[in-house]
Amino acid sequence: MSSASEGPKRRYVATVVEVEGRDEHKIVELPDFELAAWETNEPLAIVGQPLPRVDAREKVTGRAVYTADVGHPGMLYAAFVRAAIPRGRVTELELGAARAVPGVVHVLTAEDLAELPRPPRANGVTLFSRDVSYAGQPLAAVCAETRAAAERAAEAVQVAYEPAAFAVTGDQALASGAPSVRGGAKANVSRSSPVVEARGDVEQGLREAEVIVRRTYRTPCQLHSALEPHGAVAVWEGDDLTVWESTQGVFTVRDDVAGALGMPQASVRVVMEHMGGGFGAKNHAGAHTYVAALLARRTGRAVRCVLDREGEQTDTGHRPPARIDVTLGARRDGALTAIAVRAVVAQGVSGWEASVGKIFHELYACPNVRSEETFAYVNTQAMAAFRGPGHTEGAFALERAMDELARRLGVDPLELRLRNYADRDQEKDRPYSAGSLRKCYEAGAERFGWWSRRARPNPESGSPRKSDSDPHYGKFDSDPHFRVRRGFGVAAQIWPTGGGPPAYATVRLHPDGTADVLTGTQDLGTGARTILAQVAAEALGMRFEDVRVVLGDTERTPYTGNSWGSMTTPSVAPAVRMAAEDARRHLLQAAAEILDCRPEDLVVRNGMIDKRDCSAHVRIADVTRKLGHVMIMGHGSRGPNARGVGLMTFGAHFVEVEVDVETGVVRVVRFVAAHDAGRIINPVLAESQLHGGILQGLGFALFEERVLDERLGLPLNTGLHDYKIPTMADVPRLEAFFVGDADPVANSVGARGLAEPPVIPVAPAIANAVADALGVEPEEIPLTPWRVLALSSRGA
Amino acid sequence: MELVVNGVRRVVEPAAAETLATTLRERLHLTGTKVACGRGECGTCTVLLEGEPVYSCLTLTRGVADGAPVTTIEGLGSPTELHPVQRAFIDHDAVQCGFCTPGQVLAAAAFLAREGPGNDTVLDDEAIRRAMSGNLCRCGTYPRIVAAIRAAAQTMRSAHADPPRP
Repeated sequence: MSSASEGPKRRYVATVVEVEGRDEHKIVELPDFELAAWETNEPLAIVGQPLPRVDAREKVTGRAVYTADVGHPGMLYAAFVRAAIPRGRVTELELGAARAVPGVVHVLTAEDLAELPRPPRANGVTLFSRDVSYAGQPLAAVCAETRAAAERAAEAVQVAYEPAAFAVTGDQALASGAPSVRGGAKANVSRSSPVVEARGDVEQGLREAEVIVRRTYRTPCQLHSALEPHGAVAVWEGDDLTVWESTQGVFTVRDDVAGALGMPQASVRVVMEHMGGGFGAKNHAGAHTYVAALLARRTGRAVRCVLDREGEQTDTGHRPPARIDVTLGARRDGALTAIAVRAVVAQGVSGWEASVGKIFHELYACPNVRSEETFAYVNTQAMAAFRGPGHTEGAFALERAMDELARRLGVDPLELRLRNYADRDQEKDRPYSAGSLRKCYEAGAERFGWWSRRARPNPESGSPRKSDSDPHYGKFDSDPHFRVRRGFGVAAQIWPTGGGPPAYATVRLHPDGTADVLTGTQDLGTGARTILAQVAAEALGMRFEDVRVVLGDTERTPYTGNSWGSMTTPSVAPAVRMAAEDARRHLLQAAAEILDCRPEDLVVRNGMIDKRDCSAHVRIADVTRKLGHVMIMGHGSRGPNARGVGLMTFGAHFVEVEVDVETGVVRVVRFVAAHDAGRIINPVLAESQLHGGILQGLGFALFEERVLDERLGLPLNTGLHDYKIPTMADVPRLEAFFVGDADPVANSVGARGLAEPPVIPVAPAIANAVADALGVEPEEIPLTPWRVLALSSRGA
Repeated sequence: MELVVNGVRRVVEPAAAETLATTLRERLHLTGTKVACGRGECGTCTVLLEGEPVYSCLTLTRGVADGAPVTTIEGLGSPTELHPVQRAFIDHDAVQCGFCTPGQVLAAAAFLAREGPGNDTVLDDEAIRRAMSGNLCRCGTYPRIVAAIRAAAQTMRSAHADPPRP
């Protein structure tokens, strides 16, 4: 604690926090005491260990409780009536048949919303609005004694429409005379479009260029496709509401619900124990949340509202499709003289402006960079953050263009990247807090055997390989005589992710010497619960198994923000460490009383408190037992970020593919990923997260694409059968690892974020390998067999 | 009708078109069986019917033969001892969000039972991938699952070759 002699200390200061690549200005609270950061070589016993996930046992035995598993006596089930057209007006909602379905208790429509301060908005659209602005928009909801009855009744609702002209692609929305996507006088582009960022003089840079690459790239609409659908269970007790919600932000949902229902925030409790993935789509309350809460209030019974798969794929958000025009100028030696990018992003009916252009300013040293981005509204479901939003789409274009530039210059693609290496934050002209993309390049290239890739025969089969069934089958780089061609690709990633305040934690010790960590963050499957227990146990000097972490409950835990922007570890772990250090100081004061010495004479580790001179010791549990119910509690908060440094993560991916030129099938056979995210608190869990990002990137590169019928304005692949996510059969030989050191400048635990970085370079690395295999320049993903066949016929 | 779930006879009165997933989750409160798509696309709701994996969201409860044993994730292993597949999933971190995990674990257990613990041919990864490709995972645990299944096969085979003494 700050002593009185220091005089009054400033408690609240303004700072800048980077969220999903955006700068946010915030007022933050300065912690009561400063913690020295754990140094790179700090001797840590628990942090850094590959301990098993604390909730793995619950998950493999089926005991872990997810939102849809929450049941209450007399609970009702809700289902949605959704718009079947992309744009127009509902002229009639005939509910009689639905009400007649046995088991139906209530049909919720816009009329029921009259009791609210104003109708809530979900995904940017007024709930149950009669103005339809995308197919799948909720029009009403039914609740019934069983889910089957609710679904039957929802289907029985007869809807009559007056269809209107629509725009579902960026081109349609931006065309002159385009229909209004959102009605009235609202423009079809976001208010700040076009968003222009520039440094230097791109025209001058292009005049200095000796080689210029100009390309237009296209990235698809990718659907989050979490296996657990969005859902909520709502229960009222008097005027208080409890909502179990599958969410990345319990406090955000609480604020959304309290605001929509005109309730005090103190009367709304939001709980999330386990969730089946979010990936950016579960950051707010949704229509399902409001419907569950309102139906529960009206019926006086618990209500569970969980989306079906079609609802999940059509009304929960997407990575918006983008068209990205890139111009690169370079000298003969490869030095970039200019980077220009112009992007059109087809957001959907709403969404925030995830910058596709930002990575063009960050990844390479180049004096002249200009980006111009237009965010168009279209009549499809809303945009939602999707793992590495903006950067993932932008990286595909930038890293593909760099690859083509390398080929034009006759320079190895990795060599070209090293020649344009940025050793400090290019956008803001400041040093990085720590970390090194160069290390990622070097370690990844080494592990992959990048520099000797052509010399090496195919490790799995030797080359060429003959198959019994097909005498012409073989693999041999880009030899046109062979049906299966082999190619190699590289791409890199940068992502601003230092986390930041506010985040709070409380640690409390029980009389038996075990401890609780209370903090309002969420574990989406990332392992947050485990790594926070590691940090707390380390700082307390306790055994790992004696620490329990309580998350995701607005009533039990102090505030932390959403689990987004790869921010959880760098935001919450320092708060947890501080709370644990605070509790440890109290613990040592109590132990000093027992051992009759000064607290500073004591050290605590592995559950044991020792005098430094080894003359006496006492177990933590003996101290807490002696204290009885005199409770040791520690409080921690996340302090502001260091000023004047860029908090970045880095990664480099190396890929080997085989392309069958007769079927167009691309198989990724080998994948090496080297990342730097500062200190790794649990290497096994961190590598698991790299796997996840890489496999989602592999889907983005090869299969995943929401297909629209542009004539009808309807999505066509609304299930997991025809919207393809990777299966186990698609997994390459995968080596993902970390090369970084702890980052004591970033925060007191030395960790930066790592959830989003691994998805960013995957698609360009794979596409670059396909380019290498076929001698063509892919401009569009996913590289489905159809596109690959078109490309290879162009190459031949 | 009677349903034998995890070795226990249960009397249920399912609706005509009720799926096994619904019966297990809503009537018997065995919520370890998760539903992700409800239309046979993802394998999340996998349970074992007479030892073979089925998608419980596509299986009508009334279609389950009288006395045919149903095994859900709650019935795998014993309260005191995990099934070797469950153990291996923990040890190899083959779990992220955990939502697909019950289905993955059951599909893997059935696959290894089919392969036969007495079978001494080397279990190659390709065979594991083929057997498991009907179970989707969005978090990307696949490489870990393959490693876990390989390890579980080892454990089960050495236990078979050298059974613990009573």
